[in-house]
This record gives sequence, structure tokens and C-alpha cells, in this order.
Amino acid sequence: MSTSASGMSASATAKSSLDTVVADQTTAGAATAFPTSAGSPTSALTAGKLRRSPKQGSPGRGKRNIEPFTVVSYIGVGTFGLFALIPLWMIIAGSFTAESTLAKSGYSLFPEPFSLDAYASIFTGAAVFEGYAATLFITVIGTVLSLSATASLSWVIARRMPRISKPLAIFAYIPMLFTGGLVPLYLLVTQVLHLKNSWFSVILPHMMAPFLIFVAVSFFRQLPEEILDSAKVDGAGELRIFFQIVLPLSKPILAVIALFYAVSYWNEWFTAMLFISDPDKYPLQLMLQNLIANVTNAAELPGSSANVAPVYQLRLALTVVTIGPILLAYPFAQRYFVKGLTLGATKG
Amino acid sequence: MSKTTTASRDIGRKTTPAGKAAGTASRKRPSRRSGRDGGLLLLLAAPGIVWFLVFCYAPMAGLVVAFKSFDVSKGIFESPWNGLDNFKYFIASGDAPHIVMNTLVLNVLFLAATLGAGLALAIMLNELRARVFKKFMQSAIFFPYFVSPIVVSIILQVLLAGAGGHGGAANDVLGIFNLPEVSWYTEPGPWPWILTIVKVWQMGGYMSVIFLAAITAIPEEVYEAGMLDGASRARMAMSITLPLLKPTAAILLVLGVGRIFYGDFGTIFAIIGDNGTLFSTTDVIDTYVFRSLRTIGDFGTTAAIGLFQSVVGFILVTAAVLVQRRYSKESSIL
Amino acid sequence: MIPSNIANSPFSRRGFLGLAGGLGAALALSSCGTGTSASAGGGATGTSTVILPSTAPTSWNAVLSKVNSKLKADAGFELDAQFIIWSNYQQQSLLKFTAGESFDTALQAQWLNMAQLQQSGSLADLTNEIANYPNLKATLPAKLIESNSWDGHLWGIPQVNSAARLQHFSIRQDIAEKLGFAEITDYEQLERFFYAVKQKNDGTVAYGAASNSGYLHAVPVPTGMFNTASWDSPDTIARAFSGKGLFFILDKDAQKSGSSRPIPFWENDGVIDALRRIRKYQEDGIINADALNSDNATIKSQFSAGKFAAAWAMTDGISSNTLPALTKAVPGAALANVMPLKGGLSAKPNQTFQADNFVVVNSKGGNLERALKLQDWLSVKENHDLVTYGIEGTDWEPADGNKFKQISDYAFPGYALSWRGSLERKSANMSASEEKIFDWAQNFDNFTVDPFASFIPDATPVKQQIAAMANVITQFANPLFYGVVDVDSQLDKLKKAADGAGLSQLQAEMEKQANAHLKKA
Repeated sequence: MSTSASGMSASATAKSSLDTVVADQTTAGAATAFPTSAGSPTSALTAGKLRRSPKQGSPGRGKRNIEPFTVVSYIGVGTFGLFALIPLWMIIAGSFTAESTLAKSGYSLFPEPFSLDAYASIFTGAAVFEGYAATLFITVIGTVLSLSATASLSWVIARRMPRISKPLAIFAYIPMLFTGGLVPLYLLVTQVLHLKNSWFSVILPHMMAPFLIFVAVSFFRQLPEEILDSAKVDGAGELRIFFQIVLPLSKPILAVIALFYAVSYWNEWFTAMLFISDPDKYPLQLMLQNLIANVTNAAELPGSSANVAPVYQLRLALTVVTIGPILLAYPFAQRYFVKGLTLGATKG
Repeated sequence: MSKTTTASRDIGRKTTPAGKAAGTASRKRPSRRSGRDGGLLLLLAAPGIVWFLVFCYAPMAGLVVAFKSFDVSKGIFESPWNGLDNFKYFIASGDAPHIVMNTLVLNVLFLAATLGAGLALAIMLNELRARVFKKFMQSAIFFPYFVSPIVVSIILQVLLAGAGGHGGAANDVLGIFNLPEVSWYTEPGPWPWILTIVKVWQMGGYMSVIFLAAITAIPEEVYEAGMLDGASRARMAMSITLPLLKPTAAILLVLGVGRIFYGDFGTIFAIIGDNGTLFSTTDVIDTYVFRSLRTIGDFGTTAAIGLFQSVVGFILVTAAVLVQRRYSKESSIL
Repeated sequence: MIPSNIANSPFSRRGFLGLAGGLGAALALSSCGTGTSASAGGGATGTSTVILPSTAPTSWNAVLSKVNSKLKADAGFELDAQFIIWSNYQQQSLLKFTAGESFDTALQAQWLNMAQLQQSGSLADLTNEIANYPNLKATLPAKLIESNSWDGHLWGIPQVNSAARLQHFSIRQDIAEKLGFAEITDYEQLERFFYAVKQKNDGTVAYGAASNSGYLHAVPVPTGMFNTASWDSPDTIARAFSGKGLFFILDKDAQKSGSSRPIPFWENDGVIDALRRIRKYQEDGIINADALNSDNATIKSQFSAGKFAAAWAMTDGISSNTLPALTKAVPGAALANVMPLKGGLSAKPNQTFQADNFVVVNSKGGNLERALKLQDWLSVKENHDLVTYGIEGTDWEPADGNKFKQISDYAFPGYALSWRGSLERKSANMSASEEKIFDWAQNFDNFTVDPFASFIPDATPVKQQIAAMANVITQFANPLFYGVVDVDSQLDKLKKAADGAGLSQLQAEMEKQANAHLKKA
């Protein structure tokens, strides 16, 4: 049963053999058949990846015809993409459409009449650039701190150290269910740590997310224990194992976690509102929230010069202004977790 | 059959050079660790531990107010204990059963749909080969995660009700098929599904990223083996990728189960707001509590309901973890 | 206008619950530092910090530095304003009180947490203080103080720009004229106008309602927007334990009989009639169909774009302010305020004269003397104008007849610090009909004092019922207020749910307290 089967016809036979492969791979019990490959079936798999150089081609691929599943995938992703993009288009087009049209019809698919009112009110003065600077600081420093703390704590949990890992997992999980609330946090930050008006007051309360800790743990557990053990045999200490073996092997998940932290710092405004009262230090999101309020207030003013408060348009433009930069940054993180996902691709 | 199996064995052997050295001893690893290792690992974990103690555990002292008849001037120690009185309000109100039911139903829908969509998207993205298209689509499906609930509610309103409440894109589509216009915002029936679609839109891309990272951990050799065997891509996706994503999915599921008693307040409140006509299918614990208490600000009661949600979540998670362990130790979070 | 802002706020649920959890610990901590209560004798130096809603006006820094140089010279201290955006004001101002932060004054109101703060002793008692500050005293009419004292105690300085508050309609006069309505003076004409707009069928919706204020459509306070019985005899003011809870209608003859006999609003014929009318309007497309899901800002924006022919208005003199935006979108647009009171402005509708907003003094971390000195300073016309309207010549210009002409975009939340009925200037472009109504609303004598004017129901004994009822009202009564459901079947549901939520206890408690109030008065 062979190698050159052209897709469909072979599928009946392939069924049985593949089932076996996967059964072997996923059932812990099957490990007895291959004592060397391991305690964890997934570890063997991951190990496979280690050896695989990213450049390594896949001989023989690409000869295949386009399969139905590939077509389905294109259609599926394309559909979901449209599902995501149509509202995006409505947001972008709306942000350039005059408020009078938006207020009457609710949306516009083409910016007609074209208007930059919302962007004009956003980009008046230096405030928005100060906002970007503050947000950038919070996002960059915050993500670095979060990623380091999360990766190291998660590794200790994933390491299955007796008397350490399990209690630590519970320790990190409980806060996901039980939270003390706002007031103690407020007192902690303002009266104990004295971080009022410091950007660290926005970073520290969100430094670790239990959810992401466990996402990282699940990935770490799939790393091949053999490599770690052999490193041990070679005399490497736990710290060296972590920094020189674990971290380099975990780039995809680190990229994902960094991305998620970055997004949450980027969007954070509630904490900033609590602790930052100096408008010069407002991060972008808070600054923009205030902007909407300001424009709405101005609309209540009697007869001031030109204030058609673009409330709709502003909300849409703010979405564009806030998501723009992070969407631009997205492909850089993406590199790490889409690498190696080129199954069946003809290279080049 | 033998051929494929051998291939996978080979992967196991060939690709883990360390495997041979470690041999069967690998399972017993922990016993060989010295106390020094433990110390070093604790050092590694120290920043995280300190953070949790300071920012999570210390503030938990505030939970005690759930058992007090709260009085701002008396403070926590002088406020009289009132036992479980604060819990009675919610449990005794006739609304509790259906609110709890809504919370569960919606969360189960959300969890299943977002996990399913994330998984499907990751697997399908994995199939795509046109790089530009793929990268573009990946960014596209991730973007909804950034859109604030307020903007989501505006867009939804435009689609379902049009401006001023007449028409809307969805009704225009119904019109094409000669179906009668639906007054979506007064019709509670479809809302669990509408909210689920919104959730999938928001979170599908986010979830798919987690799965994509997990897919990178699957060696190509496994697929090559499948290919040698003549398996179709659909087959490989179903029989290789999907099962190997199981541990990740299981963890996401357990984490989701722990939050199953928390409504997604941000999204639901932004979309439904105070529209009572939709409450019969959309009102969840968080929105209910918020609405009941926003005017009187009785913090003891709010804390009590929060604690109730936490405790039930805790019980459910414990159960989920125990069940999960029976099936797969690997994917247990604890 | 003020309560509506917060009603739609994306109030953070996380914060709300968190607040609950943490409050105790906070007090435990803050109690360590007590003993520094209301420092009345500390002298007025340093900086007076005031907590304000909304955001700093565009040219706030310039105004503030001018304020401070004058304030320092006049009174020996400076002003610092901390702005908190409306959507989080309620939560965050409470947090600041709870955490024992130092600030002198804040905006509070019954629809915020004023009663709770007063009960907990967080507010300084101002009853005997006002007399010591002549400028302040001069701007606060005795009647205002009297109506805003709770059991004879004044807990905050009422911020009003008119004596009475009466809701009515702001209509598009240009459309009315085109349709042949020169001046609308009664409800029947108004209704014909609505249907004429509808008939024209050009996409304009007759009436634009926002999601936060449905009860105003039906419940007499003393008028309900579509409650014609209340327009005919505006002599009852429905009362509730909490802002948007269950409204009880108290007996008209309570003062004579000494018995309040409260009934839930659905037992009042005028209300039921209004609910049926609203339902008809909704079915006929007179009211915007998405009202239940449209917030205030959205409705305002739509009104400015010319989408509606009428909207809600209050006697606060600001409804004409949408005109510049409106004329930009619809050239030739004009506005008029319509008060369909039977008997017009001589109808003497009931009023409680209770203020919507108060400036309260923080008894724990604030300085009473400094706080009141600031209020006194702000009661001087020149100072009041500086803070409220900005710098003369840059932000505004005076106009004839105690009016002002806005030049810049300076928007200060005067209602949270410096509103004084006698000092407020009218906007230069206030429409003639609004001006007439606004002037009328300035005079206490144009109104009848409600028998329950200074009655503040105490929510404590029925807290849990109030919470449950608040939910019932939102779920079952609110759809009625917008006419999106069948009246009879929904009323059945409402009554059933209300019984379950403890209607009888609430009714009994309301009766007890209201009767006790009558006895005292």
C-alpha cells in the first residue's frame, strides 16, 4: 500500500493504518511498545520537530493534486476571513464618513460624504502622540516582565517537581476563581506601593494571567524529556536547562503569550483610569475615552463654532486608531507560530 | 499498517537522540533530582510567587465582607456578621434558576463554539499554502479581538435593526428569500445564537493562535508517514492533527469550565443593555447582579454572589480535573 | 440630563464586584488612620481638591491658573480638580471615599451614592455652616435649602440652574411649520404633529427615545411624556426608593387625609392609558423602534443629524444647544420647546424642588472650612463666570440680558461645582420658546409644593426587595415604557414578577415612611 496513492482511492486502506499511528501516539499505554521513545507520546513528536530544520524540504510533496480538504480549507478560512473583515470594513469606511450620514443610516459601506472630522479631533495637539508613547512603554515593559515571569513560573509547574510543581499549579490557579477585588488593590497600589501616576501602576496589577500560565504549561509539558534528561546527565543545572534548552525550543508559545500580553496591555484603560490622574501620562485608550467624553460635552455647548459632535464616527475612528498599530505588529509575532506550518507546501 | 507504525517508531527513535541516553529511566527522573534543583526552580518561580502573593492573595482578605452586613462607617471588623444572609438574596429570588441556567447555557455555547472555531481555523490555516493569503487571513481573523464591546454593539445593531430600528442588513437578506422581517431586538429566541456568533467572531482567531502554536510542536515526519501511507489531507487532519491538539484543547476546556458561572459581562451588557425583552434568554448572573445592585450599592451582597460564583466554579473545575485525569494524565492542568 | 449619562455607562462589572469584595479590607486599613475626621478648624491653606465628573475642558489649564492666582489672593488656597469620566464616576468616587483619600468636595446625588455616604457618616453636615458664608448664602434661596434638607439637615450644596424641573418636548419647529403647525400648545396638536411627520414618510422618525429613561414616558413626575392625564393635572409626583426602581403613586389628597396610600404605577389609569398610547406609537412607527438599545449620545447625535422631529427636554435651558450642529446638517432647521400643560405655564404643576446634584464635603479626608470657602468664592459672579464659562474674551463673551456667547469649546461641568440659579447666564442662541420656559422655571411661585417635597425614602429596611424589584422593572416594565410588547400580557407578567420580588413589603414600607413624613410636616 503505497506511497503514491493518489488521495481518494487510498483512503480506505489508509484509515486503518493511520488510526494505529495515532493510537500509538496518543495513548499512554502504547508506550510500552516503544520503551525508548517515551513516557510521553507527544514528547516523541516534539522531538521529531527538533531535528527538523525549518529549511528542510518535503520531498515528494507538491506532486499531489489539490485535495478537496485543501479547497475546503481555503473556503473555510476565506469565509471566516470575510466574516471578520466585513465589520472591519464597516468600521474603516464609517470612520471616514460624515457623521450626518452615519447618524441617519447607521453605517456606510463607502465613505460618502468623505469626512476627516473624527481623525481631526483625534490628532489635534500632541495628546494622542503622548498617549501612544505611554501605551508603548506600558506594552513593551509590561510584556517583557509578564513574559519572563510567566515563562519561568510555568516551567517550574510543568517540570513536575515533587512538592513544588503541583502546589504551585494550584497556587496559580486559585486567583483565576477568587479575586479580592478593587478596593484592596486600590489601597495596595496607592497607599502601600505608592505607584499613583506611575505607568507601573498599570503594568503590575496585570503582570500575570493564570490562563496564559496554563497555556504555557501545556506547551512545556510537550517538550521532549529526553533532551532535558540528557542535559542533566551532561551536568547542566536547572537554570541552564531552562534558559538554554527550554526557551529556545518554546519560541512559538512564547510568541503567542507575548502577543496576548501585549494586546491586553495595549487595550488596558480601566487600571490606568484608577491610578493615573495626570492627563499627560494617560495611555492611548484612556486618552481616547476622554476624547469621546470631551466631544460629547462640547456638543452640549451653546453655539460654539463648529461642533457637530461626531460621536458615531469617533467611536469607529478610535477603533481604527487603536487597532492599527497592533495589527501592524502582528505579523512579527506571527512569524514564530506559523513557521513550520507549511505542510505539503512546495518550497520557494 | 506495519509500515506506518514503523515509521512512527522510527520517528520516536531517530528524532530523539537524547532518548537513547535517558532510556527507560526517564520516567523516574524526579527521584534523581537533588534539593539544589528544587531550590533553583523555586528561584525561577520566585518572581511569579511574590507577584501572586502581593497582587492576588493579599487582597483576597476583602472577601470576608460577603458574610457581613456591610456598613461603610463601621468597617469590616465592626460591621456585624450576618452569616449567609447576603447569599439569600440571590438564591431566594425566583429568578435564580433561570439566570443560572442562562449562564450555563450561554457559557457552554460560547466555550464549545469558540474552541471549535479556533480548532477548525487552526487546522484549516495549517492547510493553506499561499503565504500571502494565509498571513493576511490570519491577521484578519485575529482583528475582531480588538474591537471594543461598544463598537460590536453598534455594528450588530446596524446589521439587525438598521438605524432607527427599521430594516437592517439581516432583514434585507430575509427579504430576498421572501421571509418576513424579524424584530430582532424584541425577540429573545435567537439571541443565544446571535451572542454565540458574536463570541466566535471575537474569539475564533484568538483561540486559533493558541492551537497554531501547538501545531508547531507536531513533527512533519508524522505527516510524512501518513503521506507515505497515502492518506488524504482530510484524513491526516482528523487523525493526526486533531488528536495531537487534544491536550491543548483539554486545558482550554478546563480553564473555561472554571469560569462557567461568570457571564461575559462586557459583551453581553454592551449588546443587550437594559433591553428587558431579551432577558429571558440572555440574562446571566453578572448582568443580573449588576442591574439589581447598581442603585443600592450593597457590597456585602455583591461580594456574596461573586463568592458563590467562585465556589461553584471551583467545584466544577475540581470535578473536571478529576474526570480528565481518568482519561489523560498528560493534559491535566494540575 | 445628568442621570442619563451614567445610566448608559459601560460600568465595569469587574470593578463593581471588586468594590464589593474589597471594601471591607479597605476600611480595615483606612480605619488605622482615622481620628483625622472633619478638620473644620485647620484653616484654609494648601489646595482644595474637588472631584468632578466628565473630563477637563479643552483650555482648562489656562482657566485654572487664572482661577488659582485669584483664589490664592482672595482666600489663601488653590484649587485642584480631578476629573473622572462619567461612565466610571459613580464607582470611582465611591472608591475615593472608601479609601479615605484626601479631597474636599465631590459631586454626589441621590441617584449616585449620597444616601449611603450620608448614613455612613462620610459627609459633613452643612446645616449650620451656610450662614457663615455670605456669598454662598445669597445664591441659595431658603426654599431650595429647605427642600433639599433631609430631616432638617443639609448634606450637600444643591446645584441647580432653575427652581423647578419639568420635562417636556423639544421639537423641530421648521418641520412643524412646513406641516402647518405654527405653534403647538396642547397634547392633541402634538400627537397630530407626530402623525403628520410619519405621513410625510421621509425617514424622519417623529420621536427619538433613549434607552435610559423609559419611565419618563409614562410615570407622572409630575408629567409623563405621553401621559395625557398628567398633562391635564400635573399634581402628583411618583416616588421610588431608588432612582429607576418601582414608582409608587401617592394619594393626591394625602396632605388632607394624612394617609399616603401608595399604589404601584400600573394601578393608575393615567399611566395605563399612556402605556397603551406608547404601544400604539411604537406600532405606528412614531417612536424609534431601537429605543431600548440606543444610548443617550447616540440619540443626541441622531437628533443633531435631523433624524427625529421631537425629543425629550428638561427645563435646564440647554436643549437649544443642539441647534448649531443641527443647522449644519439640516440648513434652516429650527427648534421650539413644547410644554403641553393644560392651562399652559399657569398650570402650577407640582414640584419637590429637590436638586439632581449636590456638592458634598468629605468629612474624613476633607477640609470643611476650605471646601465652603471655595463654594463661597464661586458664588461671586466674576468667579462663577470664570470657572463656569472660562476666560472672558477667549472662551465666551457677555451678551445682552445676562446671556453669554460661546466662543471656544470650553465645557465645564458646572452642575458639579458652580451652578447657582441666580448667577447662571443664558446662552445667546437659546430659542425664544425655550427662554420663556426657562425663565418660568426660575420662579418657585410658578409651582405647587408637592406634599412630599422633602421626603427621602429610606431604602435600608427593604434593601433586598429593592434590588429584586429593580430587576423586575428593567425586565418587565421597561419594554412597556417603549411600547415594544403587548400591554395586557406584559402587565400580567410584570405584576406576577413584582409580587415575587416583594411588592407588598415595598408598598407597606413606602406607606409607613410617607405617612410618617406627613405627620412631621
